[in-house]
Amino acid sequence: MTTPRNATKEPTLTSRRYATKNSLICDKSISRRTLLRGAGALGAASLALWPTGCGSDDDALTFFFAANPEEADARLRVVDAFQRRHPDIKVRALLSGPDPLQHMSIYCAGGKCPDVLMAWDLTYAGLAQRGVLMDLNTLLAHDKAFAAELRTNSISPLYETFTFDGGQYAFPEQWSGNFLFYNKQLFDDAGVRPPPGRWEQPWSFSEFLDTAKALTKRGRSGRVSQWGYVDSWVASYSAGLFGMNNGVPWSTPRMNPTHFNFDNDVFLEGVQFYADLANKHKVAPTASETQSMSTMDLFSSGRAAMAQGGHWRYQTVDRAKGLDFDITVLPTGPKGRAARSNIGTTGLAIAASSRRKQQAWEFVKFATGPVGQEVIGETGLFVPALRSAIESAGFAKAHSRIGNLAVLTGGPAHSEGMPITPEWTKVVALMDRNIGSVLRGSRPATSLAGGLSHAVDEVLRNQ
Amino acid sequence: MTPIDESAAAVTRRRRFSKGRARAGRMFVAPNMAAVAVFMLFPLGFSLYMSLQKWDLFRLAKFVGLANYRSLFGGDPLFVIALRNTVVYTVGTVVPTILISLAVAGVLNRKIKGISIFRTVIFLPLAVSSVVMAVVWQFVFNTNNGLLNIMLGWIGIGPIPWLVDPKWAMSALCMVSVWRSVPFATVILLAAMQGVPDNLYEAARLDGAGELRQFVSITVPLIRSAVSFVVVISIIHAFQAFDLVYVLTGRNGGPETATYVLGIMLFQHAFAFLEFGYASALAWVMFAILLVLTVLQLRLGRRRAALEERSWA
Repeated sequence: MTTPRNATKEPTLTSRRYATKNSLICDKSISRRTLLRGAGALGAASLALWPTGCGSDDDALTFFFAANPEEADARLRVVDAFQRRHPDIKVRALLSGPDPLQHMSIYCAGGKCPDVLMAWDLTYAGLAQRGVLMDLNTLLAHDKAFAAELRTNSISPLYETFTFDGGQYAFPEQWSGNFLFYNKQLFDDAGVRPPPGRWEQPWSFSEFLDTAKALTKRGRSGRVSQWGYVDSWVASYSAGLFGMNNGVPWSTPRMNPTHFNFDNDVFLEGVQFYADLANKHKVAPTASETQSMSTMDLFSSGRAAMAQGGHWRYQTVDRAKGLDFDITVLPTGPKGRAARSNIGTTGLAIAASSRRKQQAWEFVKFATGPVGQEVIGETGLFVPALRSAIESAGFAKAHSRIGNLAVLTGGPAHSEGMPITPEWTKVVALMDRNIGSVLRGSRPATSLAGGLSHAVDEVLRNQ
Repeated sequence: MTPIDESAAAVTRRRRFSKGRARAGRMFVAPNMAAVAVFMLFPLGFSLYMSLQKWDLFRLAKFVGLANYRSLFGGDPLFVIALRNTVVYTVGTVVPTILISLAVAGVLNRKIKGISIFRTVIFLPLAVSSVVMAVVWQFVFNTNNGLLNIMLGWIGIGPIPWLVDPKWAMSALCMVSVWRSVPFATVILLAAMQGVPDNLYEAARLDGAGELRQFVSITVPLIRSAVSFVVVISIIHAFQAFDLVYVLTGRNGGPETATYVLGIMLFQHAFAFLEFGYASALAWVMFAILLVLTVLQLRLGRRRAALEERSWA
């Protein structure tokens, strides 16, 4: 630790002030007054500065998004690329906290709604209904060239995900649907045939189960040393995904539904199959068994042969030392028509209250258009939402370790959407409460037909 | 100047001086009063106003009268669940906290070697934030590798899914809550115990009373007001439980509705469902319940004290 050079030579304020008793008294009275005056001046100054301190420090376009540090870098690359093309538009990135919806709500309620907002497929409808998001069709109507570009280049299931109540509230910027990662080495060691590499080549629930059984290994004590399948997504959502892959959509209709299919026997068969993987067939760990090690760590360390997740897990898997992996499609149930992923997408929206709508429009156009999407694809951190970017050489190069690239490139087009309703947060809370017992194996999936189905339908009716 | 004039001038000086002092006093109190008004009275009034509105942060608030209160009492089955869970949590926290704190304070009140070390150790949880504590306890409650299940395994009890099974989640939550509450309660009770005169114990010893008898018949009755205070404070804290539950069992008070307490319900309605009016109504209902409980508890305490005084007389 270094000492300031003059520290010992200069008399300190304290030593000067307390030199004599008289001077102490004199100084004390002066210092109190001075102190009070100083405090008053400081208070007045801070009050005077208040409006400027709370106001925006520049006229930059604000862009709100949620991302881990790596993803944030990727998004800033898009921002940089945009600013190179539009040096007159300054962009200020606002990184979300752990709960983006909450964070966004507080910004908007405080009158500081960011100009460009990241929108999530499952929660944007609530914001659209409350008038927070702008209907982009109004801007699209004046931009024929971009409208034509979107028509030819975009993937309709993703684009239509953000079409709510006749308005277009965001443009998709990435696909984050589910698929399976698998450990090629463990498949080889067990002599199990590799799973299919395209969505057009489905594999059945029973084939998937046989594979998972063949790849689950137990030690002498009966304790599992290698799992056949692990799930890194939200368990209740995954259960619904298996229901959907048994041929029944989550809800009727998908957009602004009035009914969820938790009372449909075929849908529930898929849910039951998912629950049985852990409870009956013991090829997947239970919630208790994944408390001490995350499912993705199990897969990355070679202790699980297949892991369900989305592209957001790619970096973790790619970095795992000595892991020889590839990806495959989700299994299809006996009543399913084709292998399907979930749409799972995020988009970019413009705040209805934005004062910089034209600049925001330019940014959204760029980030969701061909150039921005190509930048996104090259990062290897996202699956872009435009055909040209998914099929680009840059995207393929960023995923050179994946053999079955068709699972990614064909994913968006082979996705079915989860329900889009302004009441999603309430539906999730209900699912969380009711599906837990089914996933633990203490109640059958058919029990959802009574409680959950009615409760969800009531929420949808009362919206 | 006549003596009368002099005394009148002195009175005027004194008046001026006392006026000045009073003004200075008001000036010094003003920042605190402003803080109380801005950070307590205004939010209180605003939340009462909001409880009569339907407001989602984005749209204009709409006056709905007592509709929020009506749907809370009439049509929300989760309110009953949350209330029941909160009562279970409160009883499961307050009763063990008082019993353990009494015992711990009794032990710490003894004059033995190295007692200051034990006192420091006991008070340590007071210094740890609830969130940090909850994260640490998550490791302790881990089903397969948690410390608690390992220790239970030594006595032949199989792994218990503390935070995964709804049957056990509330017990786990109460355990952590007791662990957090005991130090504060102990500090209060220990301070009260140190105020009990030694001659009472000496007299009791002469009469042949043992340690336990002294504790039950002398210590506990003489620290009754401190116990009452601890009970009131513990009930208030337990009723407002949120951070511990949020970190330990998740934002929805799971598994299923096992730890869905009023604090979690309030947070969920306000920040997940954006129903600030409804959440405000719930906050006022919680306030009313606590007020009634506290007043009842204080009245009971006073009546008991009056009865005891009468019996001594």
